Amino acid sequence: MSKLTLKTEGDTHVVVTRRFHASPEKVYRAHVEPELLKKWLLGPEGWTMPVCINDARPGGKIRYEWSDGKGGGFSLTGEFISLEPYSRIVHVERMHLPDPTPDNHVETRFEPDGKGTLMTVRMTLPDAATREAMLATGMADGMEQSYQRLEKVIA
Amino acid sequence: MELAAPFDMSQPAISRHIKVLSDAGLILQRVEGTKRPCRLAPEALSDIDRWLAMLRDALTKNYDRLDALLAGMDSDDPNSTGKDKK
Repeated sequence: MSKLTLKTEGDTHVVVTRRFHASPEKVYRAHVEPELLKKWLLGPEGWTMPVCINDARPGGKIRYEWSDGKGGGFSLTGEFISLEPYSRIVHVERMHLPDPTPDNHVETRFEPDGKGTLMTVRMTLPDAATREAMLATGMADGMEQSYQRLEKVIA
Repeated sequence: MELAAPFDMSQPAISRHIKVLSDAGLILQRVEGTKRPCRLAPEALSDIDRWLAMLRDALTKNYDRLDALLAGMDSDDPNSTGKDKK
């Protein structure tokens, strides 16, 4: 359907694009209104978002908490840097695994694309230690375990 | 040299690229007489690839959910058919 593209840019950034069959206004709102965010920003199946604080103005605080439904989970905090309805959001965030990861600077753009939206997200590529910590949280939903099994097989 | 064959590049240029990749830890080279066989370093590639695969998987799931949410949002578009909620 609407294909996701994901690639690294040098060794410092990751760029993600995704097209949506909805206006930039709707896609933008889904990124800033907590009641909407809680319905989709969840990761693997079975996870919920019990806390979603999103003060959508420059300097406003971000706090998300996710639960895997089995006693595990993690949180994310951050701040908005700038918001331009309905075309651009710039914010900084870090995950707590439980130790805080280095800051991730994220720029999200929403551009009209026919009747829909082309969204582009440019984020900081985390360092190796952060990547390992993220892989260990279970966000990978079994994919990480599959890779580990594969590595044993091909070693 | 076999590695150079598919590319429109001189062998010395290929050798320089090989050296850069080897210095970066992305490929490993052995010495077999006059040959220098190369292979991909599995640990080096799999680190970023595994993380990107995890991110792609998480984002795909998130954005598929967002598609469903967007389809059900109140329409401000007179051309919308008002799709069913999933």
